[in-house]
Amino acid sequence: MRIDKRRYYHLDWYLIINGLMIFGIGLLNLVSATSSFSSGSYNFMIKQLIAFAMGLVLIGVVMYYDYRIIANQSRWIYLGGILLVVLVLIIGLAAGGAKRWISLFGFSVQPSEFMKPILVILLANMLHEKKRQNVPLSLKDIGKPLLWTLIPFVLIVKQPDLGTGIVIILVCFAVLWYVGLKRSTYAVLFGVGAISPFVAWNYLMKPYQKMRVLSFINIDADPAGFGYHAKQAIIAVGSGRFLGKGFMNGTQHKLQFIPEHHTDFIFTVFSEEWGFIGSVVLFALFISFINRCLKIAMNAHDELGSIIAFGIAAIIWVQFTINVMMAIHLAPVVGIPLPFVSYGGSSLLSMMISVGLLLNISTRRYMF
Amino acid sequence: MKDENLSSKYKWCTLVLVITMTVLLIRLWDLQIMRGSEMRKLSEQNRIRVKKIVAPRGIIYDRTGKVLADTRPSFNIYLTPEDIRDFSQTVDGLARLLACDREEIIEKMKAAGGMPPSFPIKIKSDIPMDEVARVEAHRVYIPGVSIQIEPKRNYPYGASFAHVIGYVSEISDEELKDKKKHKDYSPGDYIGKYGLERSYENDLRGVDGEKRVEVDAIGREVRTLDVVDPIPGHSLHLNLDLDLQLSADKALETRKGAAVALNPKTGGVLVLASRPGFDPNLFASGISKRDWQGIALDKAHPLQNRAIQGGYPPGSTFKILTATHALQLGVINERTTFTCGGGFAYGNRVFKCWKKGGHGTISVHRAIVESCDVFFYNVGLKLGVDRIHEFGNIVGLGRVTGIDLPNEQKGLLPSTEWKKKRYNQPWYEGETVSVAIGQGAVWLTPVQLAQLSSFVANDGKNFKPQIVNRIVSTEGKVVKTFEPVVNADVKFKPEIIKIVKDGMRGVVNEPGGTAGASRVQNVLMCGKTGTAQAGSEKVRLGDHAWFIAYAPAEDASIAMAILVEHGLHGSSAAAPIAKGITETLFKVKTVIKEAKADENR
Repeated sequence: MRIDKRRYYHLDWYLIINGLMIFGIGLLNLVSATSSFSSGSYNFMIKQLIAFAMGLVLIGVVMYYDYRIIANQSRWIYLGGILLVVLVLIIGLAAGGAKRWISLFGFSVQPSEFMKPILVILLANMLHEKKRQNVPLSLKDIGKPLLWTLIPFVLIVKQPDLGTGIVIILVCFAVLWYVGLKRSTYAVLFGVGAISPFVAWNYLMKPYQKMRVLSFINIDADPAGFGYHAKQAIIAVGSGRFLGKGFMNGTQHKLQFIPEHHTDFIFTVFSEEWGFIGSVVLFALFISFINRCLKIAMNAHDELGSIIAFGIAAIIWVQFTINVMMAIHLAPVVGIPLPFVSYGGSSLLSMMISVGLLLNISTRRYMF
Repeated sequence: MKDENLSSKYKWCTLVLVITMTVLLIRLWDLQIMRGSEMRKLSEQNRIRVKKIVAPRGIIYDRTGKVLADTRPSFNIYLTPEDIRDFSQTVDGLARLLACDREEIIEKMKAAGGMPPSFPIKIKSDIPMDEVARVEAHRVYIPGVSIQIEPKRNYPYGASFAHVIGYVSEISDEELKDKKKHKDYSPGDYIGKYGLERSYENDLRGVDGEKRVEVDAIGREVRTLDVVDPIPGHSLHLNLDLDLQLSADKALETRKGAAVALNPKTGGVLVLASRPGFDPNLFASGISKRDWQGIALDKAHPLQNRAIQGGYPPGSTFKILTATHALQLGVINERTTFTCGGGFAYGNRVFKCWKKGGHGTISVHRAIVESCDVFFYNVGLKLGVDRIHEFGNIVGLGRVTGIDLPNEQKGLLPSTEWKKKRYNQPWYEGETVSVAIGQGAVWLTPVQLAQLSSFVANDGKNFKPQIVNRIVSTEGKVVKTFEPVVNADVKFKPEIIKIVKDGMRGVVNEPGGTAGASRVQNVLMCGKTGTAQAGSEKVRLGDHAWFIAYAPAEDASIAMAILVEHGLHGSSAAAPIAKGITETLFKVKTVIKEAKADENR
C-alpha cells in the first residue's frame, strides 16, 4: 500500500491543531466533570481516549480513499446507517426513557450520531452536479434530498432523540442553501417553516417536550421540575463569573445539581470552572475551527468536496451553537452534544470521521 | 475553484459566525459579569446548609447524685423545603414511610412558614430504628428529607418526678411570637414547659452550636465546612431525694394527692410528689395529638401539680397554727381547759365535734392528740380571725412560699379585710369558729402545710422551700449555690413551742392519738391528722385526708405534709404515707448525716 507523500505535505495542520486543542480542553474538563462519579474520572477519560484512538484509525481509513470514491458509495453507506438506526428501534438499549444505543462488538453505539456525516455525503453526492452547473434548485429538485433526510429524521425522532433529528434537518437546509435555491423555493420553504411550529406543537410534540418549551419561556414556572435543569445550568455558568471557580472546583456539577453534566451539559462545567475568560477562549477555538472548515469548503478541488466540507461545518456550527445556547438558557433543553467536548464515543467518532473527510478534501485540493 | 457565488456564500457564513459569537458572548457577559455575584450566591445557597447542633441539656441529679433527667441520642426527621423537587412525591412518600398523615407534615411546614426555604423543618422526633432504616433506604426518592441525630431529653423515673422536674417540649408558636423572651429560639427547638425544666430553662439549655455543611442535589451531606461546638447546659443538683420521692410517689400512685417533705433546717425540698401524673417522656419525643388530648382532657387533671397548685381546706392540721399562736399570745396556756360535749352552740348554729360523745373537759395537749374540735372553736373565738390570718401569713400560709417552681398558687387565709374587699360584707364570728379548725374559707396547698410543719419542727423558724441545691457547669464548676433563705423566724419561749410539739408527738405516739397506727419504730415521728370536708354543703364529697409530720421529735431532719384527695381519714389514708417516707429516710444513716452537714454550711 503506497500513500502519496504529497498528502502529508498538504495536511491541514491548522485544522488538526485547532481540533486537538478543543479535544484537549474537553478531555481535561471531562476529568473534572466526572470526578464526583463513583467510578472515578479516569474511567471516563480512558474510555474517551479509547474512542479517540479508534477515531484516529478511522481518520486514516477515511483519508485513504478519495472522497469521490466514498461519495460514489454513499447510497450503500446511507443504507447501512439507516439499517443501524432501524436496529436501534428494534433491539436498542434504553437509557433515561429513550432507546438510542445498540450493542456492537461490546461497545454501545449511537447510530444516529453517524447519520449526520453520512447524510452530508449523500446530499453532496446528490447535488454536486447541480452546483457545478450553477443552477438554483427548484422545488422539484429539493424533493429527493428532503425525502432522504426525512427518513432518518423520523426514525431518530422516534427513539426519541429530538436533538439529533433537529441537527439533521438544519444541516439538510444548510446544504440546500449552500447549493443554491430559486427564489420560489425560498418562498415555499419559508412558508412551510412558518407554519411548521404550529403543526409540530399541535400534532407532533410529546407533552414533556412541550413542557420543556414552556419552561424555557418562563424558567420560574416550574423551578423544581422542568425548569430545574435550565435554572441550575445558568446558576453554574453565572457563578463562574469572570475567572471561574478553578479547575475541579465547580460545585454545581460536582454536587449533582446538573443532570447530564458530562454529556449534553458539559459546557456548564467548563464555564463554571473557567469563567468568562475560559469560555471566550473556547468559543474562539470553535469559531476558528468552523471557519477553517468553511475555508476548506471554499478551496476544495470540486463542488462535491466543497459541499461535504460545508455540510460538516454546518454540523459543528449547529451543535456548538444549540448546545451552548441550551446551557445558558437561550434555547430549550434538547439533547445535543458539544463536539469533541461532551463525553460519548459515538459523538467523538462521528466528529473524527468528519475531520477525516475534511482532511481528505483539503489534501486533495490540488489533485486532478 | 473560486467564483462569485462561493465568496458571497462565504461572506454570509462569516456573518453568521460573527452573530453567533456576539449573541453568545453578550449572554455570557450578562450571566457571568452582570449577574455573576447573584449567581455565585445562588450556587452557594444550593450547596451550603447551616445545621444546628443542639446543645445537650443539663443533667438533673438528686441530692445523692442519682440521675433524674438526662439526654440520650435520638433520630429526628427534617425536611428542607428548598430541596424538595416534587412536593407531593416527597410529602406523600415521607408520610407513608413514617405512617403518619400528610396533613401533619404540611401543618409542621406551615408552622415554620416564616423561615427561609433552606431552613430544615423538624417533622418527627425520636423515630425508631426501623423507620430510620426505611427513610434512609428511600432517601433518593424523597429529596429534601434528612435524618439528624440529636440529643433528646430522657426521664428515667417517668411520672414519679413529672410534677417537680416537669418536661421539655417543642416551642409553640405563641412562645416564638414572644420575641423578647425567646429570641434565641427557632421552630422545632425544645424548651422547658413545666416544673424545674421551665424554672431553670436558661441554665439547663446551654448554647446551640452550628455546623456549615456542603450538601449535594438530594440534600446529602458531602463534607463539613466548619463547626461551632455547642456549649452543654449546666446540670442541677437537687435537694430532692430519689428514694424518699419514690416511696411517696408509690404510695400515692393509685390515688389523687400530693406529698411534700422539707428539710426544716434549710428549706431544701426532699420530696415533692403529686398524683395523678403523666409520663414526661411523651412530651420530650414530640407528643402525638392523641396522647396530648388524653392528658389534657383527663378529668383527674394530671397536669395539675397538687403540691403547689391544689388549694384544699387544711382541716384539723390547721389546729397546730391556732394552738401555737394562742399559746404564744397567752390567750390560752397549758392548763386552760374547755369542755367538749360533742358540740358547740354559737349564734343560731351548733358546731359539732367529730367525736359524737365529746371529749369532756380537755386541755391543749389532749385537744391536739385527740383533735378536739370544740376546744379549738373556743380558742379560735378568743384569737379572732385577723390574728390567725396575720400569724399564718408569717409562717407562710395564704401566700406563695416562693418554691422554685412556676405557677405556685397562694391559697387563701381569710381576714375581715379580705371579706370586705372580696364581698363587701362584715366578717361574722361564726366563720372564725370554722376557720379555727381549718374549714370555711381556708384553702391551703400541701407545700404551705409542709412549711407549717417545718415551722413547728424547727422551733419557730422555717425557710423558703428550695428544690435546686446548686447549679454546676459541665466542667464541674459550681455556677450557683442556693443558700437557705429564712422565711419566718419567730422567737418562742421554749416551753410554749414544746407544748405544741408534745401534742404532735402524742398524736402518733400516745394512746388515743389520732395517728397511733402510724407509729415508727426507733424514730419519734410527730404529726397531726386532718380530715377536711370536701365539696359544698349540698354536695358532700369524700373528705380530704391530711397529715402533717416531722421526725425525729428533737432536732428534726424532715418535715412533711401529705394530702390524699377524698382519702376520707387523715389517720388511715395520709399518715401511713408519712410513715413510709420516715422509715425510708431513717433506714439510711448517711442520709441523716448529710442533712446535718447542710445545716453547718
